[in-house]
Amino acid sequence: MQAKVFERFNFVVFLSAFALISIGLVAIYSATFGNDLVSGNFTKQLISASIGIVLVLAIMFTPPKYLSMSSYVIYGLVMILLIAVIILGKKIKGQTSWFSVAGFGVQPSEFAKVATVMALAFFLSNKNKEADVTKLRDFMYAVAICLVPVALIMLQPDMGTTLVFLFLLLPVLYWAGMPNYIMFFIVAPAITAVCAFLGTWYFVAAVVFIIAMMMVFKKNILVSAIVVCIAIASGFSVNMIYNKLQPYQQKRIQSMFDPESDPLGAGYNVIQSKIAIGSGGLSGKGFLQGTQTQLKYIPEQWTDFIFCMVGEEFGFVGSIAVVLLFLILIWQTIHIAFICKNQFLSICCIGFATIFSFHILINLGMIMGIMPVIGIPLPFMSYGVSFLLSNLIMLGIILNAYRNRKEYV
Amino acid sequence: MDLSKRKNFYYIFSFIIVMIIAGRLVQLQLINPEKFDKDAERNSVKTIITTPARGLIFDRNGKLLVDNKPSYSVTVVKKEFDTNNINVVCNLLGIEADYMRSELRKIEGTNRFIPTRIQRDVDFRIISFIEENRELLKGIDYSIDPIRLYPTDFRGSHTIGYTKEISESMLKKQQGDYYKQGDLIGTTGLEAGYENYLRGEKGFEFILQDNKGREVGPLNDGKNDVKAISGYDLILSVDAEVQKFAEKLLEGRTGGIVAIDPSNGEIICMVSKPDYDLNNFSGKLKPEIWTALNTDKNKPLFNRATQTRYPPGSTYKMVSALASLQEGILKTNSTIPCEGSFRFGDKVFGDHGAFGSITIPTAIEHSSNVFFYKLVLRIGLDNWNKYGQMLGFGHKTGIDIPEETKGLLPSTEYYNKRYGPKGWTEGYVVSLGIGQGELGVSPLQMALYTSILSNSGTFNQPHLVRSLKNPVTGEITPVQYKKHEVAIDKDYFKVIQKGMYLVVNGNGTARSIRTSDVSIAGKTGTAQNPHGQDHSWFIAYAPADDPKIAICVMVENAGFGATVAAPIAQRIILRYLLGLQDESEVKDSFGER
Repeated sequence: MQAKVFERFNFVVFLSAFALISIGLVAIYSATFGNDLVSGNFTKQLISASIGIVLVLAIMFTPPKYLSMSSYVIYGLVMILLIAVIILGKKIKGQTSWFSVAGFGVQPSEFAKVATVMALAFFLSNKNKEADVTKLRDFMYAVAICLVPVALIMLQPDMGTTLVFLFLLLPVLYWAGMPNYIMFFIVAPAITAVCAFLGTWYFVAAVVFIIAMMMVFKKNILVSAIVVCIAIASGFSVNMIYNKLQPYQQKRIQSMFDPESDPLGAGYNVIQSKIAIGSGGLSGKGFLQGTQTQLKYIPEQWTDFIFCMVGEEFGFVGSIAVVLLFLILIWQTIHIAFICKNQFLSICCIGFATIFSFHILINLGMIMGIMPVIGIPLPFMSYGVSFLLSNLIMLGIILNAYRNRKEYV
Repeated sequence: MDLSKRKNFYYIFSFIIVMIIAGRLVQLQLINPEKFDKDAERNSVKTIITTPARGLIFDRNGKLLVDNKPSYSVTVVKKEFDTNNINVVCNLLGIEADYMRSELRKIEGTNRFIPTRIQRDVDFRIISFIEENRELLKGIDYSIDPIRLYPTDFRGSHTIGYTKEISESMLKKQQGDYYKQGDLIGTTGLEAGYENYLRGEKGFEFILQDNKGREVGPLNDGKNDVKAISGYDLILSVDAEVQKFAEKLLEGRTGGIVAIDPSNGEIICMVSKPDYDLNNFSGKLKPEIWTALNTDKNKPLFNRATQTRYPPGSTYKMVSALASLQEGILKTNSTIPCEGSFRFGDKVFGDHGAFGSITIPTAIEHSSNVFFYKLVLRIGLDNWNKYGQMLGFGHKTGIDIPEETKGLLPSTEYYNKRYGPKGWTEGYVVSLGIGQGELGVSPLQMALYTSILSNSGTFNQPHLVRSLKNPVTGEITPVQYKKHEVAIDKDYFKVIQKGMYLVVNGNGTARSIRTSDVSIAGKTGTAQNPHGQDHSWFIAYAPADDPKIAICVMVENAGFGATVAAPIAQRIILRYLLGLQDESEVKDSFGER
């Protein structure tokens, strides 16, 4: 009997997610401790987590066919919600990304991540239509699935979230069979653009690297030349666009890369969060003992900056535990994607693993000052009802994939 | 499609991401977390420095001379202060906005996070206003600082000295980082001489504050706090009653008095007139008062007891006498003929009488000039200089306040340097024989010299402080001072002492101060002053056979030593030894002479 439960239920994924949610709850408790305005956040998160676990189980036991068949419907509904939120939503800090439903804020863009991965997975795995990503038409179709939510979310505007959609596309396409060289063609202009922004020598190095890679792929000389030209052009255009920006816009981009350049503005949070994490040391200052977190030096530390509290109060030991839990979760998800015979579920798993990885890299990198300041939350841990529920829906689908891994349909 | 290869790509890629994060964690949390600790602390911990009470100062009989009283100072924490409020604050404190800006500009480094004083000794009314408008005046606060209180009815300005706010240049020069902008530091007198003992140890209170600067409570339940420790108390050798008496005697005149106990170098009283009110320096010093004190032509800030450099006149004659005896130039009973004037080259040096052939005691008794003109030529400049040095001239005495002059004791090198090796003659030396010319001494040096003459050759470093009292344990530690025997035969001092005894008790120049109460030995001096009236000197010790006090009185522009300086010295001696204090007597006696 026990063996059968293990056979059908992936405890590794479930328990690591469960542990992360628990640590997140502890952190939210500490981060909102003594702050009357937000002391209800812990309870809200606890309720969402409890509802979410039920949701996880419900999704896990749903036949995969129903999930894949409803993909487009869900995608369509969420896109309608994204349009509706721009018209009807609440404006908070210059962004219109919220609905208020029974006292809970609903953020459609979080659900859009799940819906987009599902729609992509359904499109790419649809055997009837024989989608082939190497064909330009099908490739463009996949790109469009991603770009619709990107366009809608840009209207809110929430730049951080749109990046998630752009970044999940490539790993998903690659998993769906995109050849290496085409992947590289797509990535090359992005590499030169970033390097051009960093400096001339980075740009030169990037161009040399791309030319070398073109030789490795041994493609037609004309194609290779076009790829290199596009890459160089993108590098130049980045600087041209940057130079045409207003000084205040340039400053904003600068402080994204160098928080110290604007210590009281955009850089403030990052400077403070670095101090919080750094001062935690090996074993931390103890629960509710962090001066940075308890004395509220980090604004809204229960959302994007939740990891500060872990870093300061539980130190390196606590922080590395969280990071390792994420690694286990992601690796297990990739493993499930590999062993799952249902292509729809497999692609979904890869999409979700990508979303988790991207969030972790950007969120933790940002609060530790090695990534630009882009406001996206930390999976399972940051406060946010919609975000937590969307994470748990992904968890449900991953568990579903494991449960039904031996079935093709 | 080879998914297993691609799967590894995803594994590696996610692993790299996690390693980047883990690496950064190691870098932040394990490599130098102390740096961030400090930053976190600086953020959230407000340090309040509590100023210790300066040590108290007592006289030799335990009378309290210098006390402390609480006062309010307004402080600013630059990091928190909103410069838009600068006008509100300046109006409140009655200071110029430019002054406030320059003070703010001076605050650098660690000072940005701790309160820095901008105004001392403010009204309670201002403190109430700050209390009521905390939200508005963010970064402005107040502290309670002890300031000096002088409970006695004498001044002691130059002896006790004052404290002032530390200057920028002193702040930069200080060793360590004890002093912060706005701190008081002993600047003159004992306050400066014993600054390191008097100042005490600062206290530190650590208070947690939130991101809005509101106090949340003590850090670590106050376990890290350091209590301020008051400074050491000074127990002086000064006798408050004698000091007060001496100040009264010199009131209205310009000059200095130093009285020393010849047995140990303890200073009994030290007066410099004109002086100033130390209360002006307690709390905030008004700039107009400071300017007035500095521009006053009578120079009240100048310590005439230790810093003047006048020729001592005849009071210096005993140096030559001792030199001649010790060098074997004269025997104790040798005589020199004194004709009433002395011709050297084409110059005639006068005297106030012809005394015939006289011995050293008689020459001192009558203050014969010719005797000492002749004698100094026989001793020579080098010996004259050497014995001057031995008796405490030409260098600092080592008194325990910083204001002191070396004086000027001319030597061959000095004249060579000043006039060129051939530019001066022995004629220059003749004047030195009677304590005139370029010789410059302070009343303190003269008092020390008198004490050496009276105790037959023991040098006791003059000092004001007997002992230090530890404020915590109450333990009293005597301060050790230098003491040595001057290389002159004791017998030769007897000859000098006999002469000095005769000055008062024989037919000498100060016989007018003779008294049956105490046998006083002394010597008058009149220093020629090219700028006006001569300066009046008198040195004395008493009782003549068992000296307990050696004194020097110098009064500027007062004529003969015998007329003004001698009676003052006599009254102080009587006051000290017998407790007599009829000062009207002194005033009357001036009229007679």
